[in-house]
Amino acid sequence: MIREVGALTRRELKRLARNPQAIVTSLLLPILYLLLFGQAFNLGAAVSPSVLKELVRGAPTYFSYFAAGMAGFVAVTATLFLGANVIFDRLFGVLKRTSSTPAGATAIFGSRLLAGILQPVGLAFLVLGLAVGLGKAGLSGLTVTAPVSFVGAGEVVLAIVILSVMFASLFLAIGFTIEQPQSYFAVVNAINLPVLLTSAALFPWGLMPVWFRNVASFNPITLAVNVIRENLFAGATAYYPYDASVYLLGLAAWAAAIIVVAIVLARRALAPRS
Amino acid sequence: MATPTGKGTIVAAELTKVYNGKVRAVDGVSFEVAQGEVYGFLGPNGAGKTTTVAVLTAGLSATSGQATVDGIDVLRHPEDVKRRIGIVFQEMTSDGDLTGRENLELAAALYGVPRSEVASRVNGLLERMQVADAADRLAKTYSGGMRRRLELAVGTVHSPGVLFLDEPTLGLDPQGRAGFWKYVQELRREHGMTVFVTTHYLEEADGMCDRIAIIDHGRIVASGTPAELKDRLGGDIVTVRPLAAGPDLTPLLKAVPGVLTVTAQDGSYRVKCPNGEGLVPKLVEACARSNVSLAGVSLKRPSLDEVFLEFTGREFREDEGFSATDRAVMLGRVQNQLGGRR
Ligand SMILES: Nc1ncnc2c1ncn2[C@@H]1O[C@H](COP(=O)(O)OP(=O)(O)OP(=O)(O)O)[C@@H](O)[C@H]1O
Ligand SMILES: [Mg+2]
Repeated sequence: MIREVGALTRRELKRLARNPQAIVTSLLLPILYLLLFGQAFNLGAAVSPSVLKELVRGAPTYFSYFAAGMAGFVAVTATLFLGANVIFDRLFGVLKRTSSTPAGATAIFGSRLLAGILQPVGLAFLVLGLAVGLGKAGLSGLTVTAPVSFVGAGEVVLAIVILSVMFASLFLAIGFTIEQPQSYFAVVNAINLPVLLTSAALFPWGLMPVWFRNVASFNPITLAVNVIRENLFAGATAYYPYDASVYLLGLAAWAAAIIVVAIVLARRALAPRS
Repeated sequence: MATPTGKGTIVAAELTKVYNGKVRAVDGVSFEVAQGEVYGFLGPNGAGKTTTVAVLTAGLSATSGQATVDGIDVLRHPEDVKRRIGIVFQEMTSDGDLTGRENLELAAALYGVPRSEVASRVNGLLERMQVADAADRLAKTYSGGMRRRLELAVGTVHSPGVLFLDEPTLGLDPQGRAGFWKYVQELRREHGMTVFVTTHYLEEADGMCDRIAIIDHGRIVASGTPAELKDRLGGDIVTVRPLAAGPDLTPLLKAVPGVLTVTAQDGSYRVKCPNGEGLVPKLVEACARSNVSLAGVSLKRPSLDEVFLEFTGREFREDEGFSATDRAVMLGRVQNQLGGRR
């Protein structure tokens, strides 16, 4: 099992390295948001600094709040091609070859998951770095106001990793279930924006109506972004009802549930066809 | 020789596959293959060859019937069966985004080839399949024949006990075909590998298979050794052409031992016989004894068309719709085009 997963993971990584367009595609949307939406939505010009602090839960600027949200959104844009890869591998016979070998469905799914989270995790930090850089270049940028701590950094990494695992599993599950590329992209588009727009990645928390907050609280992107924001901005914890570890637990529950469903669907997809 | 349910054997009993409750692709097929035997499935497009292979290799579940491979019930323990077999699919399944060598290394790892043996086996196979020069190029840059040879290498990298080949030599040049079969025969000699092969080509089935089943519309319509099948066909056709039109030679030719039937046609005679090669001298001799001068004698072995005419009562047909081979070829083209962009 370990050897199989290792060999299959290596294959996925090689393919990623040989097709770097996927990386550019994954970054396109988050970067557009950083350069356009984030720059234009200049909330600080409209309200006093104290009101702003309430609206963005202790972040120094709206852009800083929003940049943390984009780091979460990358977990979506950098994993959604994983399911498409499954569909193309099925179309091109590669999946037929792999599933004809003793490598089980769990190994096939697991290797794609392992290889699939590398990119979103890397890109999430790239987006954070870029957001800091924009500030240095004279545009609105990300300002980290909290002191860097070992535990804090660990929590941020963990949040990004778990969120990536969750979305990678979700898109892999869809890829194993749907056979037509067109239908896949239709489904993914139906998930992509709604999951972003029901999260706290973009919107100032303080502006949301209560019902929307209730919905957004359970959104996995919100959970991950809460962890990031609590750790990046000094004093932010006062604006959050729970400690970052609680949000991490919630996120882990999401990921575990989706992994289970994904493995079931992958097994079904790779079992002898009827 | 092992018992039919034992190691290295393939047993199908009343195997049936109905797609979507409508298409009866395999219809009550039964056969047994002994260890070390090369068993050929010969049939036209859409006959059910690939479907049979898919069921036997645990890629497809049967609608009814039983199948045992290497002593393991395929329908009940598909994962165990996968461990014990090798497959070469009709269509391309190697990974265009990996090099030839990487494709083989991956397959070796998935089949649990001992790590210490991987490099030597992979190199040996690359050499053998004549893709060594291109070993470190991405497979999507291979020519059709090279890709096919890589496919054959990937399916056999672990020296399986039972090997399934679905039209393995499709698109290979004569040297490629000969090289591949030489390799298969070697594997078979070295560790008694059993081979199940489907093909369109009677010549290939004839030369390589110990036994053949002719399948049409999902049913086995005839089976036996190539010699037996040809005999049942009436065997070879020797055409005897006299120099000048003269008396009817039918009684004379019919009297030669080994002749089955004689038909006069356009001034010449079609003589059906089991063994044409041996018969030609005798026919010539008989004519000489009766002072009949000959313009020529030709020998024709039975063609695929004749086999089908005999056993199915129809001409070897071009299938309705797309065959799996057509699909494989078309997909290959799409793959190559997309390959540039992927
Ligand atoms: N997935 C499928 N769904 C429905 N019908 C199918 C499917 N696969 C094959 N068939 C049908 O089953 C029959 C047997 O197909 P199969 O691929 O086994 O033939 P084959 O003997 O391998 O043909 P070829 O020589 O073209 O490869 C054909 O009529 C085919 O159209
Ligand atoms: Mg076929």
